[in-house]
Amino acid sequence: MLAYVTRRLWQTIPTLLGVVLLVFFLFTWVGGDPAYLLAGKISNPEQIENIRRQLGVDRPYHVQLWIFIQQIATGDFGESWATNEKVSAIFATRLGPSLTVLVPLLAVDTLLAIAAAMLVAYVRGSLTDRIVMIGCTVGQSISILVYIIVFQYVLAYQLGWFPVQGWGKGFAENLLRYSVLPIIVGVIVSLAPDTRLYRTFFLDEINQDYVRTARAKGMSEARVMWVHVLRNASIPIITNVMIQLPGLLAGAFLIERFFSIPGIGREVILAVERSDFPVIKAVTIYVAIATMIINLIADLLYRVVDPRVQLK
Amino acid sequence: MTAVNSSGTLIAIRDLKVDFRLDRTTVTQAVKGISFDIPVNSTVALVGESGSGKSVTALAILGLLPKENSTVPPGSRILYGGRNLLALAPGELQKLRGADISMIFQEPMSSLNPVFTIGFQITEVLTKHLGMTGRQARVRALELLREVGIPEPEAKIDAYPFQLSGGQQQRAMIAIAIACEPKLLIADEPTTALDVTIQKQILELIAALQKRLRMSVLFITHDLALVGEIADYVVVMREGEIKEQGRVEQIFEAPQDAYTRALLLCRPQLERRPRRLPVIDDFLKPGPLAGSTLEERSRGLRGDEEIILEVRHLGKSFYSREGLFGKREFKAVKNVSFKLARGKTLGIVGESGSGKTTVALTLLRLRGESSGEALFDGKDLLSIPQTEMMPYKRRIQIVFQNPYASLNPRFTIGQLLMEPLQVHRIGSSESERRDRVYKLLEEVGLPEVSFFKYPHEFSGGQRQRIAIARCLTMKPDVLICDEAVSALDVSIQAQVLNLLQDLQDEHHMSYIFISHDLAVVKYMADQVMVMNEGEVVEVANSDDIYRNPQHPYTKKLLSSIPQGWRGARAR
Amino acid sequence: MTQAAALAIGVQRAESPGLWTLAWRRFCRDRVGLVSFLIVVFFFGLMAASGVHLIAADWSKEVGVNYAPPTFIGPEVADGGPSAPGSHGGERTGEANPFDPLAGVLAEIRAASGAASVAEAQAPTLVFGGDRWGRDVLQKTIKGTETSMFVGLVAAVLAAFLATVFGALAGYYGGWIDDFFNWFYSVFTSIPYLLLILAIAAVLNQKGTLTVILILGLTGWTGIFRLVRAEYLKHKVREYIQAADAIGASHPRRMFVHILPNVSHVILVQLSLHVVLFIKSEVVLSFLGFGVGVDTVSWGSMLNEAQSELILGYWWQLAAATLAMALLVTGFSLFTDALRDALDPKLK
Repeated sequence: MLAYVTRRLWQTIPTLLGVVLLVFFLFTWVGGDPAYLLAGKISNPEQIENIRRQLGVDRPYHVQLWIFIQQIATGDFGESWATNEKVSAIFATRLGPSLTVLVPLLAVDTLLAIAAAMLVAYVRGSLTDRIVMIGCTVGQSISILVYIIVFQYVLAYQLGWFPVQGWGKGFAENLLRYSVLPIIVGVIVSLAPDTRLYRTFFLDEINQDYVRTARAKGMSEARVMWVHVLRNASIPIITNVMIQLPGLLAGAFLIERFFSIPGIGREVILAVERSDFPVIKAVTIYVAIATMIINLIADLLYRVVDPRVQLK
Repeated sequence: MTAVNSSGTLIAIRDLKVDFRLDRTTVTQAVKGISFDIPVNSTVALVGESGSGKSVTALAILGLLPKENSTVPPGSRILYGGRNLLALAPGELQKLRGADISMIFQEPMSSLNPVFTIGFQITEVLTKHLGMTGRQARVRALELLREVGIPEPEAKIDAYPFQLSGGQQQRAMIAIAIACEPKLLIADEPTTALDVTIQKQILELIAALQKRLRMSVLFITHDLALVGEIADYVVVMREGEIKEQGRVEQIFEAPQDAYTRALLLCRPQLERRPRRLPVIDDFLKPGPLAGSTLEERSRGLRGDEEIILEVRHLGKSFYSREGLFGKREFKAVKNVSFKLARGKTLGIVGESGSGKTTVALTLLRLRGESSGEALFDGKDLLSIPQTEMMPYKRRIQIVFQNPYASLNPRFTIGQLLMEPLQVHRIGSSESERRDRVYKLLEEVGLPEVSFFKYPHEFSGGQRQRIAIARCLTMKPDVLICDEAVSALDVSIQAQVLNLLQDLQDEHHMSYIFISHDLAVVKYMADQVMVMNEGEVVEVANSDDIYRNPQHPYTKKLLSSIPQGWRGARAR
Repeated sequence: MTQAAALAIGVQRAESPGLWTLAWRRFCRDRVGLVSFLIVVFFFGLMAASGVHLIAADWSKEVGVNYAPPTFIGPEVADGGPSAPGSHGGERTGEANPFDPLAGVLAEIRAASGAASVAEAQAPTLVFGGDRWGRDVLQKTIKGTETSMFVGLVAAVLAAFLATVFGALAGYYGGWIDDFFNWFYSVFTSIPYLLLILAIAAVLNQKGTLTVILILGLTGWTGIFRLVRAEYLKHKVREYIQAADAIGASHPRRMFVHILPNVSHVILVQLSLHVVLFIKSEVVLSFLGFGVGVDTVSWGSMLNEAQSELILGYWWQLAAATLAMALLVTGFSLFTDALRDALDPKLK
């Protein structure tokens, strides 16, 4: 077990190196000279030279790369160009709000999607199945933007059921007052695609021989579905949830932006708008590292649900 | 639950029909109104080729037909203890399944739930039907595992299915099925996926359990030879209808129906080797069988034949990655040597994992690096560079097992057969090549129009003919048949074997005939090579090896062949 | 069957149905699929017609009054709606949408062009209403459809092409080639998709249709790559490929003549799925202001404007863009499902 974890961590090094090179390449060559961006409209060659020296972009590439790697290792990406806040401080303060919204969102969505998917998979081919599936397709085809705009306008702005936007101080207040509408919108948006996807997982399992065996043994339909089929279908479902995790961390930025939740996602958008390279670089690298760690955890989880997986 | 008719009939099937809906407009009748009885304490064999409706009948008894696309028209009845199983409420049927009537299937690996332990899957039945507590059920499960002959039951009870061998998996399935001492055990091709030595053990186990538990067995199989050993009654089905039913001795000694007779004689037998195998049409048309099916063919080498291929010390290893830099070596083939005479057939027999297929693929260099040498016309096929390989490639060809996988589904038959001619620049013009292909189609018994058709429009036997024709385009000296008839029904098998024999007689090709089926190899081969775990166990002329096997493994293999009907036995 | 076939020999020659023909026949039997196919064809027509300026060519003309309501509602009772387009509109956007970095620039451009054409006669109502400057929302939607669909299609083709080449090489040859592409894949997938897109958008700092296409296409190949590679791994050990090897077919021939047609249905379905995915991504990017240029209209930029309009009660631009997008994406998704069912009858 420990040997497996060690080796897996060892194997992620080439990937991590690739990510570092990719980010470095993007921001150093493709991005052009950041000094011009920073200096903005009021610039003379002297100022630009100054900024270049401060940023270190006048040095050779390999030196810059080395500095970048040092930054990653120490976690010290310096300060935001826009606000002069320490990048590490931005991370520390923005992670909490993001997780407050995302963890309940993911949990509620996954549970609902599993239940709905199992139901429609069981009655596959029926009218219910077709209606739910077409409903999911239509629901999925509407942009997440529209859901957010309309829900915010109707439920919060017009009906006043929820605060339109904002964020408070205490965890309970944030979770029960400010996060409710964002979570509802998030669940509605992800429920349709997840139900469709999980349905295919269940359908794959329902046609397996062991399901026929379970029926031939006289097991009740409920037991066949909830014990025999679910345990097998949970393997791809866990994969899917784990794949979504890192994406959610940065990907729920639209929700965070609209509801003014001071999370990582909103920070990413602000940074992109302001060309705040240190923040974007740091987020990209650390989310990539988080992804690799989550993948490792996913592999360990497989061992729990699928005895065939041998951790070698 | 225990209402057994005093007349001795456990289950009576009356006018059973099953319809399958293929799409919105097409409905096929899989079972067309059949009736038969399953008497108490006896074994009934349901025999038929693919598409005969035998498995569908079995599933209908347990109410396990797929609900989405199958219907049982009214009027069909399956009577058990005075009740019609087809009209039973789902809850009632559930109580019967696994308790009174249980079932085992063809593929034990996929029939067991992969993520639960064997113990869990046995105790589940015991707690459900017998109301046992977890502790009681576990004790009983251990007993059951011992009863079905699984070694070290204390360890195996907590094992997952993938940790057991195929034979052990089927034993575990049987343990689940007999857990509640059912009145009827339905066995749907329970040994088809298993090696012949394992097959024998499983058959013996089922027979012993049938006697001890005094249950009835409905044994479904495509192989009449199996039936002779275990059945009391035989029901022969074809295309959804019963062709003939009766006591086993009557079926084997005095078959009334032409189809039954055909099934009995199409399959090669160990004690006879006719010049041609009789095929189903020979029986369906009136008149005596053709002379060629009665004459004997003699096989074997005298020792002075011209040798076309000589393989010396062939070895092949596969490597799996282990750890960061480590490799683990698996020797699939170890030190195999043999000689192939021109115009003769070398049979290779062995169980799964014996390395027989690897030998063939290695000779064709379809499997990468290998050791040893294969001298063909004095050239070592294994060491000449890829660039010089082309002229040799066309002289050794191969026919694969699965006729559904070996033809590119996106090519027409014409494209499939023209491709080798184009690649090797055989024939001077397209029209000359086309004429050649038409002639070949005729030779393998396919109509000219096949040229424009796609593989999916042909049956398994026809596809195998196409695969053979593709090899013939290059006029090879050596043809390797890798389980070439194993996926085919018995009646089709005979036709393809006859074709292969005709082609050999005409073109004087040498065959390497690989099969797990000892009877087929005996029929086809001059010389037989027995392989086990990558090594050659024994090589000899085919008549000698069957009459007088030397190696213990060969003896074990031969004694496992189903003997068919051996006259009245003491039961 | 052989006898019947022999009789029909002369007639049947070239008419034997291949797998594609059979798939098409199955497809035609699926009514939902057929309807969705017609919707997709309709949108293709719309895109082409708009692309060659047959329709919606003068979408940017300010033909109606500001926020002209749809005809089916009738002219709006004046509630002090803005009459001077430039300044008023600019201010409000500033308040309602503080995150839009372009609002200011956009307003300047509009103000300039608006002032020039203010003299023209302006209709009180438009078919599906008007936007802040009185431009016809229907025409704008058609133009937006053209942009969004074009971006989605071209980016999907680019991504599918890259994925097919990478996947074929990796899956077929295996070994270090496979290791290399897998490394490349894991690097790209370690960074969440939208984050990667935003990061590239940030460094490029250059808006425009071509940029969006490149961003989406160059980052979006990973999903298709994984599937194509898996298909090649599966097919290269199939017996028909071994048979092709045995008769002496070369590597490129086996890769592209034998295997590619057998995996093309997977690529086609993925292509179709990715069109939808990329259209959605383009909408989000353009909404945030990192997408198409300021002088181009797309569904995303329409939604951006619609957001602030909704608060004022002008819902029609939102409705138009949403409706158009929902119709196309639903049509495309159902079409993809039907395509998958028709091409691979085993999966249902």
